[in-house]
Amino acid sequence: MSTPVIEVENLNLKYGDFHAVKDLSFEVRPGELYALLGTNGAGKTSALETVEGHREPTSGAVRVFGRSPRDRAAVRPRMGIMLQESGFSPDLSVRESVRLIGQLSGRTDDVGRVLDVVRLTGKAGTLVSQLSGGEKRRLDFATAVYGTPELIFLDEPTTGLDIQSRDALWESVDRLRENGSTIVLTTHYLEEAQQRADRIGLMHQGVLRREGSVSSLLSALPSVINFSASTGASLPLPASIHDGIVRIETFNLQKDLYVLLGWAQDQGVELSDLSAGPTRLDDVFRAIEA
Amino acid sequence: MFAIARSELIQIFRNRLVLVTSLVMPVAVSAFFIYRHEAFASIGSLGYIAAIVMFTVGAFGLYTTAVTTLASRRQNLFLKRLRSTAAGDKGILAGLLLPVVVLSLLQIAAILTVFAVVTGEPGNVALLAVAALATVAMMVGLALATAGLTNSPEHAQVTTLPVSIGVIAVASWVGISGTEELTLVKRLLPGGAATEMVVDAWNGSASVILLAPTLAWVVVAVALAARLFRWEPRR
Repeated sequence: MSTPVIEVENLNLKYGDFHAVKDLSFEVRPGELYALLGTNGAGKTSALETVEGHREPTSGAVRVFGRSPRDRAAVRPRMGIMLQESGFSPDLSVRESVRLIGQLSGRTDDVGRVLDVVRLTGKAGTLVSQLSGGEKRRLDFATAVYGTPELIFLDEPTTGLDIQSRDALWESVDRLRENGSTIVLTTHYLEEAQQRADRIGLMHQGVLRREGSVSSLLSALPSVINFSASTGASLPLPASIHDGIVRIETFNLQKDLYVLLGWAQDQGVELSDLSAGPTRLDDVFRAIEA
Repeated sequence: MFAIARSELIQIFRNRLVLVTSLVMPVAVSAFFIYRHEAFASIGSLGYIAAIVMFTVGAFGLYTTAVTTLASRRQNLFLKRLRSTAAGDKGILAGLLLPVVVLSLLQIAAILTVFAVVTGEPGNVALLAVAALATVAMMVGLALATAGLTNSPEHAQVTTLPVSIGVIAVASWVGISGTEELTLVKRLLPGGAATEMVVDAWNGSASVILLAPTLAWVVVAVALAARLFRWEPRR
């Protein structure tokens, strides 16, 4: 197996008495998209900033490309960072901002090409203070992907973006992955993580509660069939009923749905408001909060 | 470092408030002192005018501008952005402060040159230059330390007052009253020995021994900077 790009072992991070990250361990492999998700205050940004090298761990070890992430001169030319908050000088133009951060990144690229990727070519001469929130996020993405780094951190990359910009950003991410870039993502948009992540780590109260591929996380929870029906006939499957809504949990959705529909047909029962769906990441999220 | 310095220079010339504070105000005050040099020389000496000009540029052109700039860059997370690159901390700080330091040194040199043309050459140019460099180094250290205690550019209007007014007050006190009385106190105050060096260097009776307390204040300022400067807003 190839050497991990990121190795985190028993990471702890404390702010005074507050224990923000507790014994966190995970790896990110070359070329994968790893999503670190969590509830508000779960510690994911603290963890991510430590992996990026912005914070010193209280204890534990973090290695990026086999080195300390705080060894900026060695590690940063290989990684791009999209911060959660903008952090650009309002008195610099878009072009000047990309050029400055690009020059300091230790990578080389064409500023015009990068602006084209994030659709900010028309705003190249505009001061950052005059950009909208979404445009600032795109500028942030531009500096992160400048020079096509091997590893890219995306912290809430699509927050504040309209749907076209969001699609364009994910297309860019797809192209970066085709070129072999490794992506570490945090987002509150769970469907984005569900659609794109190879593996997901779910944090809650500073602890990594679940980790694995999307399918393995989802398979740990049952799918759900809901309907309302007024019948005295006994149901063919174990169910719970609340306010007239029948809820059936199943690990074999196709088979049990077939059984249920057959039973309804035989009994002449109408299943009103029938819905059946696989487990979603939202459900996994709620399960770790419970 | 030079990429950051270039961007800082661009920002200084785009921000009118910073431009006025760092360039226009010190030059205007200095011009007034030179224009009225006979009156001010009768209060202290020509050396006193050289000292007060140097500390005016140091306090407003350099110190206040540097504190405001650093607080602003930290508040809008620009410092964090720079630290997300391959640039090292020392290079980032050097880049951020280089333009304002160079501008201040150029201002001091230009103003004192005009002053020399108007009133005659200083007695010891080399010692004058050393005193100016040490003063600039001390003000940079104090600026970094003060920036650590300053949450925003607006807050800088308050936090910079003690040092900026303090060093000008010390320069005025030492420059006008001399150091024949309360010698030790005056030499140990921030900028006190530097003022005496400038006054004496201009008037032609400089003493190298004054370098010791002057450089000691540079060391104190740098130590305070290392202890107090913060890269990110308080959590």
